[in-house]
Amino acid sequence: MNRRTLACTLGFLLLTSVAAAQGVTAEADITAGRSTEGVNAAGTQLRLFGAVGHDWRMSAEVTWAGNFKNRESDAFGAAYPYDRSVRPMEVFVERALPKAERLATIRIGRYRDPFGISGRSDHAYGGFTRAPLIRYGTNWALSNTFMTTGVDALIGRPALSVEASVGASQDEGQARRPDALALVVRTQGYWHSTIVGVSHMRSRPSMHGSYVQGPMVFTGIDGRWMRGGVQLRGEWVDGRPFNGVATRGGYLDLIVHRTGMGPLTLVGRVEKLDYDAGPFSAYYHRVVVGGRYQATRAIGTQINVLHQPAGLTHGHRNVLDASVTYTVRF
Amino acid sequence: MTRWLFPLLIALSTGVASAPAAVEGAVTVKGKPANDTVVWLDAPDAPRAPTRGAVLEQRDLQFFPRVLAVQVGTKVRFPNSDRVLHNVFSYHDGEPFDLGLYPVGEVKNQSFDRPGLSRVFCNIHAQMAAYVMVVDTPYFAVSDARGQFTIQDVPAGTYHYHAWRPGSPILNDVIDIRPGVPFDVRWP
Repeated sequence: MNRRTLACTLGFLLLTSVAAAQGVTAEADITAGRSTEGVNAAGTQLRLFGAVGHDWRMSAEVTWAGNFKNRESDAFGAAYPYDRSVRPMEVFVERALPKAERLATIRIGRYRDPFGISGRSDHAYGGFTRAPLIRYGTNWALSNTFMTTGVDALIGRPALSVEASVGASQDEGQARRPDALALVVRTQGYWHSTIVGVSHMRSRPSMHGSYVQGPMVFTGIDGRWMRGGVQLRGEWVDGRPFNGVATRGGYLDLIVHRTGMGPLTLVGRVEKLDYDAGPFSAYYHRVVVGGRYQATRAIGTQINVLHQPAGLTHGHRNVLDASVTYTVRF
Repeated sequence: MTRWLFPLLIALSTGVASAPAAVEGAVTVKGKPANDTVVWLDAPDAPRAPTRGAVLEQRDLQFFPRVLAVQVGTKVRFPNSDRVLHNVFSYHDGEPFDLGLYPVGEVKNQSFDRPGLSRVFCNIHAQMAAYVMVVDTPYFAVSDARGQFTIQDVPAGTYHYHAWRPGSPILNDVIDIRPGVPFDVRWP
């Protein structure tokens, strides 16, 4: 166990002991999945969240998940590392200063980088079994398990807010940046069920090698709209994982849960990722259709059918992912 | 004097008997205290007014409270006090509505103008659910964690009452509201 894992574990234990005496909710997810890409997967997450004092709230999460057989596949890696290790994930406290029509929140601890559509609940168990290409760590762009240990402040109003995070990168998953300074700035606007954000980040690269020089820099725009059970959301990012190369790409999600569909949610995604690196360039695209069936409040099933180029994940052009998740709250 | 005294005593006794008072009660299911139960009395002649300060908050991917009871005509506030977006909606019986997508710090309002039960969900987070019971009477309450409830300012008398809780059939019965008489609601 390295130092950061030890520190996060101690933080997790400290927060859980504090939480035990407070009005805190505990939640566990247990997932089993199978993909025709030759993947069997299992995972579990335990999280605690809630109030721990006047205006203070906490969140702590630990995960264990693993892919078996084809460990190169990104199947089921929507929001957690599948590396068969027990990992502390987000461990933080935050304080919101409630003022009418105003936002002022400070978060201290370890949290997912607030770049674009970055929340756990945005990507985990929402209907998609995989992270977007631009958010899967080994694809020369961002990662849904990029994390920072530091301070995050959000100010503004619901209609327009600014968020800034400064701290040290402490990532999980295969793509890990050095424990060095990481900055993320994001601004978000809201108008009539439409939310648009612009994010910028700067940190050390997650890739390693003598050819890796300079910082990792990305700028992105994200948008969400929802009405009548139809949600459109997407992101576009442009930047460089290190000097001399460029990555750009994005995705557009359609998520439909209309009245009358009951426990069924249908999802679709189109996405692309361009990595310009001379002879090492890669140009990927992927189409996903699928759904989520919430059989009971505790049991949800996700099925995704993917069409993708052969080069993306070892020769499987068409893939079927299926998973079952059991969620329980204490 | 006797001619005046008798009606006066009758009037006084009626006035004392019907003076509004808080009615305390308890809800049990199979003998155990039951929270989140809405209990209301039929009172067609009682004055109506929208419930003040009705709030259904979104926090930690949950609704607080899980069960909210309001009078007909109440405007309920739906603040997003979370760190993520929500899309509150309701369908089936009661009051169908869709508040659309809205971010942290934003507050949406929804009027409930018809009696009945509204099941409230978030269209982004499937596990979030709450209930708004709209009643056409000023005499109602929701039981707390110990199964206890208090209905304020109820004149003594005989009432039809109703009780509802998630997952149980609605109870309909008659209660004689008098000082010192317990108001027990029991599901077998």
